[in-house]
Amino acid sequence: MTLSIKKPPRKVVLRRMNLILPDRSIRVIDPAPATVEAILQKEGINPLEVMVVRDGLLIPEDTLVSGDDEIRIIRISHGG
Amino acid sequence: MSPEPLCTKIPACSLCGEPAVIHQRHAGHFLCGTHLIADLEHRVSETVASRQQIVPGDCVAVALSGGKDSTALLFLLHRLFKSHSDIRLVAVTVDEGIDGYREATVRSAEDLVRRLGVTHITVSFGELFGDSLDTILKGRKTQACSICGILRKKALVVGAERAGATKLATGHNLDDEAQSVLMNVLRGDLVRLVRNSGADSGGRFIPRIKPLMYVQEKEIATYLMVQGIWEDLPECPYAIHALRREVRSMLSGIEYRHPGTMLRLMENKKILETGFSGKTGEEPVGYCRECGNPCSGETCQICQIRHSLLR
Ligand SMILES: [Zn+2]
Ligand SMILES: [Zn+2]
Repeated sequence: MTLSIKKPPRKVVLRRMNLILPDRSIRVIDPAPATVEAILQKEGINPLEVMVVRDGLLIPEDTLVSGDDEIRIIRISHGG
Repeated sequence: MSPEPLCTKIPACSLCGEPAVIHQRHAGHFLCGTHLIADLEHRVSETVASRQQIVPGDCVAVALSGGKDSTALLFLLHRLFKSHSDIRLVAVTVDEGIDGYREATVRSAEDLVRRLGVTHITVSFGELFGDSLDTILKGRKTQACSICGILRKKALVVGAERAGATKLATGHNLDDEAQSVLMNVLRGDLVRLVRNSGADSGGRFIPRIKPLMYVQEKEIATYLMVQGIWEDLPECPYAIHALRREVRSMLSGIEYRHPGTMLRLMENKKILETGFSGKTGEEPVGYCRECGNPCSGETCQICQIRHSLLR
């Protein structure tokens, strides 16, 4: 498509981090490096109550994430 | 291990150096998927062995709601005992009749037993008590969890008896158990607080066992995730009315900031059990005068619910 030619090259695109919350809503957050734990804390989420997946891989909350990472938060619901 | 850019580094497994999937705060280390599986299966087999929960000759009825804990329980027990010809597992599912919730979990339970090749027995509230939980709870939703808990316990026993089981295993995890200790404190229920849940029932009940009682909820979820059998299932619609929900969130916050709190609660409960053994003045176990089932008191809880329904 002709429109796509006018898009700036990828390297100057502003980096953004997508945070996918348990209710599947997506929040764009500060792309500066931060631990998942700090991000969860900001959202008021206890790391013990969720699992965190980055680009399809399960990661501990101590992982540093940044830039174009897509972080998905999965709530561990109660019930046996 | 392929080098990662520094800013996205995943902590390494404390045992093998591979990328970790979980931070076990209570143990102070990180584990990769493989070592988490090994760790959980080792701990559960320790619990089962040290408490003699399962012994040769047992037929174990595994309560399988299809939710995460019971799924992990059946999956794990199957892995531990599939090569033991003298131990049999039968899955028992209770269909309470909760619209918009149970369908998905029952289907998940059916998928699992088919995959593992385990015998499956389903008992429904409709068949046993004449009505679905949804109908029974009309106008009394705030009592949902206590009523459902009593009826479900009964339904599980019926299922276990039909299976010819010698043990009834449930998926209660460390979070559940620690929550119960705290809830009994908050309710001032001293008798329940100090009751030895593993006490001998004198052969009147099928002994209940909780092989996951020392495994945290997050460890269970992560175990399922790394095995590729995690399913994002809905939460029971009645759970919002429960005290447990508040206790759960509070306790898990404390556990996060002070790792090991849940285990310490369980240790304290054990000390109380020992110290108060035989001193609570709890009535001796007798039989319900209406239905003849074993119970403490004159009429059993099932018959009490049946009466309150007729009122
Ligand atoms: Zn490892
Ligand atoms: Zn009765």
